[in-house]
Amino acid sequence: MNDRGPATSARPVVNPGADAPLAPPPRERPRAPATPWRRAVRRFLRDGWGLAGGLIVAGFAIIAVGSWLGAWGTDWVLATGGQWEGPSARHPLGTTILGQDILARALASTRTAFEIGLVVAALSTLLGALFGALAGWFAGGPADAAIAWLKGVLDSIPFYLFVAAVAFALDDHPWAMHLAMIATFWTTTARLVRAEVIRLREREFVEAARAVGVPPMTILRRHVVPNTIHVLLVQASIVFVAAIKSEVILSFLGLGVEDGISWGLMIAESTTEITSGRPWNFIAASSFLFLLVMGFNLFADAMQDALDPREERR
Amino acid sequence: MEGFRFVLRRVAAGIPLVLGVTLVSFVLIVHFGPDPTWNLLGKNPTAEEIAQLRSQMGLDRPFWVRYAEYLRELATLEFGFSESTGERVGTLLGRTVPVTLALLAPGFVLGNLLGVALGLLAAWHRGRWIDKAIMGFSVVGMSISFLVVIIAFQWLFGVWLGWFPVRGWAVHDLGSYLAHVTVPTLASVFVALGYNTRFFRAVFVDEIGHDHVRTARAYGAPPLVIMRDNVLRNTLIPIVTRILFSIPLIVVSGSLLIESYFGIPGVGKVTFDAITTGDQPVLKAVVGLTAVLFVVIQVLADILYRAVDPRVALE
Repeated sequence: MNDRGPATSARPVVNPGADAPLAPPPRERPRAPATPWRRAVRRFLRDGWGLAGGLIVAGFAIIAVGSWLGAWGTDWVLATGGQWEGPSARHPLGTTILGQDILARALASTRTAFEIGLVVAALSTLLGALFGALAGWFAGGPADAAIAWLKGVLDSIPFYLFVAAVAFALDDHPWAMHLAMIATFWTTTARLVRAEVIRLREREFVEAARAVGVPPMTILRRHVVPNTIHVLLVQASIVFVAAIKSEVILSFLGLGVEDGISWGLMIAESTTEITSGRPWNFIAASSFLFLLVMGFNLFADAMQDALDPREERR
Repeated sequence: MEGFRFVLRRVAAGIPLVLGVTLVSFVLIVHFGPDPTWNLLGKNPTAEEIAQLRSQMGLDRPFWVRYAEYLRELATLEFGFSESTGERVGTLLGRTVPVTLALLAPGFVLGNLLGVALGLLAAWHRGRWIDKAIMGFSVVGMSISFLVVIIAFQWLFGVWLGWFPVRGWAVHDLGSYLAHVTVPTLASVFVALGYNTRFFRAVFVDEIGHDHVRTARAYGAPPLVIMRDNVLRNTLIPIVTRILFSIPLIVVSGSLLIESYFGIPGVGKVTFDAITTGDQPVLKAVVGLTAVLFVVIQVLADILYRAVDPRVALE
């Protein structure tokens, strides 16, 4: 494909058509394909399952944005039909006990799921990057020990109990669930970032920066942390999935979403209906949830393989 | 002597963690918890009445004194009485913990055994169709919510097929135990299997890639012998770690959902009720005890590693 870049992979290109649009004409910009990002994107595009997962996630993201903009799912609270109607052209997934359209509710819940997933993933990844970078940079020192202690403490309190305790302390504040998730989900990210920073700080480019007199915190911020981005991206997507799955269970337990609509609330509502042969609430919420989580799992797996720097040596 | 010093060091390392987890649960549940003063007083209490009741209940004592009191409660297992049932918390836990253990033990054991077996199978046939099939199923399993599985299985086996009781815990002999434990066990195995298989497969793939396994294969050792002597024995530490560390998670999150959904009177149901009614004595007992238990497990695991692998002592 490209005669000047290093061999990116020992494997033959399985589907040359898949990466054709991305590969620039070889003679004009011969070095472009060698950047790690391009190689990662090309590896990702070669992964059929990962691509399918990415498309599913993109589809759900469109649903969430559309619901946020008011394009659909806006009348989830109104009684637009009769009680417990079956699927029809007007209500493709039937209606609830109050005559609300189940499809509209499932669509509006997609937005709730994305809000929770994005907020929790972004903030817990930020915390994990910050604490992990500090712990790794000062490995063995008091800061490292303090962060290790904090991680140990937060990991030792079972998650659902921690959420319950936070909700208890905050008097059922609507952000109690988000806060509890952010406060606990950063620990894994921090552990991975710490290991990566310890590896990176011995590398030549860090030594070079130190030799020319770049202040240590600037080195950490400008040269070390950006090189942990592959860990952060994968962790953020794992946390996104964990947050969405936790929301469903917490809302069911009465610790999650209280105002508004979510798949967890729909499932909680459905538990009495399902035994009496009215499964549509349950089917709608659980299949939306399953599809999104499955898509994200496939996407995260493919992203991990594509971004893993070790992959290049295989 | 060396071993004893090692054990002492590990136990000492657990102390800050115990202080940390108890401090967090104290701050969240007791310090910021609901103030019972207002429920106990009549309408329009005077400032003196409030102050008198608060000093009677010890609510006006300094933070650290109350925290020390909480530590004493944890150490002696004396948490007072449940606010909703009036039962002593110690008795309540003594009655419900065995139910939870009986409920979750089969699923926990089966989930790990099957996970190890499927992980070995997939790792041994890495890259072939059997590996792809197992990994495909585990991604699907990982994507289904525990709650959805519980609801679907209860409906499938309890209502539609009618093979097992739908709710409750009327256990008096082996037959009734099996009848009540089957559906929760199936649900927890189904959910744990995806994660377990994936984790164990990764560990085994790594080990099978080592030279000693290749050599054993080259010498023609039978696969089962290689798996037992070369693969399983060398991966004991990550396997044991994962199993030990999943205990509190399984016990708490598993029992919370299963017991509240199936109406089984175990710790999870008690905790769920305490969460919904804001029953402070029960909550502080459950949160504090599970967190301390987890720290104890971590310390035990550290000590156990040394028994499994003498190199650990070099640290």
